[in-house]
Amino acid sequence: MAVITYLEAISQALRDEMRRDENVILLGEDIAVFGGAFKVTVGFLDEFGEDRVIDTPISESGFTGAACGAAVEGLRPVVEFQFADFIACAFDQIVNYAAKNYYRWGIPMPVVFRGPAGGGFRGGPYHSQNPEAWFTHVPGLKVVQPSTPYDAKGLLIAAIRDNNPVIYFEHKHLYRRIKEDVPDEDYVVPIGVADVKREGTDLTVVTYGAMVHKSLAVAERLSREGAECEVVDLRSLSPLDRDTFLASVRKTSRALVVHEAQLTGGFGGEVAAIIAQEAFDVLDAPVTRVAALDIPSPFAASLEDAMLPTEEKIYTAAKNVLEY
Amino acid sequence: MSKSKPTIFLDPALDRTSIATDETISRDQLAVWYRTMRLARACDQKLAALYRQGKIVGAVYLAIGQEAICTGVVSLLNRDDYFSTVARGLAGWFLRGVEPKHVMARWLGRDVPPAHGRELGLFFADIQQYGIAPYHNGSMASWIPSGAGFALAFKIRKQPRVYIAFTGDGATSPGDFYEGLNFAAIHKLPLVVVVENNCFAYSTTIEKQMPVENVADRAPAFNIPSEIAFGNDIFEVRRVAKRAIDYARAGNGPYLVEFKTFRVRGHGEHDDMGYVSADLREFWEKRDPLRLYAEYLSGAGGLDEAEVKAIDDECVQTVEDAVAWAEAQPEASPDSVTDRLFAP
Ligand SMILES: Cc1ncc(C[n+]2csc(CCOP(=O)(O)OP(=O)(O)O)c2C)c(N)n1
Ligand SMILES: [Mg+2]
Repeated sequence: MAVITYLEAISQALRDEMRRDENVILLGEDIAVFGGAFKVTVGFLDEFGEDRVIDTPISESGFTGAACGAAVEGLRPVVEFQFADFIACAFDQIVNYAAKNYYRWGIPMPVVFRGPAGGGFRGGPYHSQNPEAWFTHVPGLKVVQPSTPYDAKGLLIAAIRDNNPVIYFEHKHLYRRIKEDVPDEDYVVPIGVADVKREGTDLTVVTYGAMVHKSLAVAERLSREGAECEVVDLRSLSPLDRDTFLASVRKTSRALVVHEAQLTGGFGGEVAAIIAQEAFDVLDAPVTRVAALDIPSPFAASLEDAMLPTEEKIYTAAKNVLEY
Repeated sequence: MSKSKPTIFLDPALDRTSIATDETISRDQLAVWYRTMRLARACDQKLAALYRQGKIVGAVYLAIGQEAICTGVVSLLNRDDYFSTVARGLAGWFLRGVEPKHVMARWLGRDVPPAHGRELGLFFADIQQYGIAPYHNGSMASWIPSGAGFALAFKIRKQPRVYIAFTGDGATSPGDFYEGLNFAAIHKLPLVVVVENNCFAYSTTIEKQMPVENVADRAPAFNIPSEIAFGNDIFEVRRVAKRAIDYARAGNGPYLVEFKTFRVRGHGEHDDMGYVSADLREFWEKRDPLRLYAEYLSGAGGLDEAEVKAIDDECVQTVEDAVAWAEAQPEASPDSVTDRLFAP
């Protein structure tokens, strides 16, 4: 056990898996010599060599397609997008090749796409997005998003060992801010299993990624005011663990869905629909969503703060659901 | 079209109305390749008929007129080399042992492996049985990056294998063509791009597709060798493709070969080809790869006309039997529709 950051947990998972399995290779822009834009892979080139840590040209579709082909051939590539925003350039390879390959042919494609996502640090329209819902709509892809160092490590190891394409969104804002005790040895956080990050009886907050921390802070505030929130961290969006949040809603009778991505067409709509359909009989209040405004991510602090879900917005929405 | 300028359909240096070879090739071997091409032709002709009878629910895309290219190229490959073809590579599959009855069953949407009704007969992948890898054949050119990825795996594992990416002229314009070849050229990956320049991308002529005369003119951007050759001559295909394959296999990096050919039918059978001039059709009609090959066979090739005719008849019969078998196969059960989304 050692206290490590979310970023170190990702790094550790990659390094451990590369030591364990020589089929694991890394591709991405500036990941080898420079160690990655966020320094996740510092030292990897020295340890694993340039056959396994590949600095790619700026061609997301090209290296994504290459990773997919290499994966079919038995390698286990992990692709780093410099920013999750640029996964847009590789969209076709992911949604039309990776996602459909097993359904079409029954031939596995073990590939991982890491996308540093999320806003909150003035990255502007192209360095702040949360594109998970672009991919949760596509059958054949697994989509995960850890919120803690423990989950970050365990989910990445699970993703690398999975025989399917997995998109792993890591929140940039959590990289160096979130620390906790993480086992030194390898372990797996199974894909498709949610985690109750806080137990409570009055309101279920279904969330994931950076919003887990904001939701937990709101839960503490509400607790001081006498209401106990249960915070369910989805961790995996596809496949989705419905049972965990439905069981929670059955207990609390109230649900708030929180994510950092924009509201319309966001993943929260899916969660809300499932709750409305499956737990209608127990609901004491409308299922409510808190998400970013439906605009591109603006640059200026005043604008970005107005766009993103804040603790204040989550708190207000939670109060409304509790008092409905 | 201006009346003063005579139309040249093919660079005179590439033009052939008869074919010959310097290689010593046994009569049996010659017959195998001929049978492969003829079988592909017979299959395609039958598919056209089935389409017209409404027996094929979706669209149908044929390879008529391009059979010499994939036959010639695949005839040079080792069993563990990979190749990806799009609509126009049926003969290549046959050379790998794929059976016509399975091809027909797939076109008819029957429950046969590996797709079990999930994919058109146009596409095929089965590594274990035929050494044909699944690639991205939905979006044009997207198989170039994945081909580079397979080739990367060969290189990392120090295996002397090559990846052949058959590619239409139209598929050399999307960004993936550049991204894939760029990556392959940087890492000197064993990727051979075989361009089947059949004069059209759907209805669009070369002039409207690219600012250069030949696809091969794009190769200097990747600092890779390229050649242009006549694609309806199986012997020329073998000559040129062998250089490319040897080069890539030896670790020198990618190679681009452009074969000039002609898509005899429409883009698909739904296409009336109203945009193709009679002169152009007539020109290529005289240069049909099967006609050229049959003439060679019954001349220098050492088979007599009756023997060639016997192969033709046998292929037609094989296809008839294949369709009968395919029609007797069940369709996939609706209960299976959500199966096999994820690998265990
Ligand atoms: C990215 C993309 N856009 C459009 C299509 C539809 N489409 C399929 S084949 C084709 C023409 C391809 O032309 P070419 O590459 O010359 O191959 P050919 O059909 O002549 O063999 C088009 C436009 C597609 N498959 N992918
Ligand atoms: Mg074409």
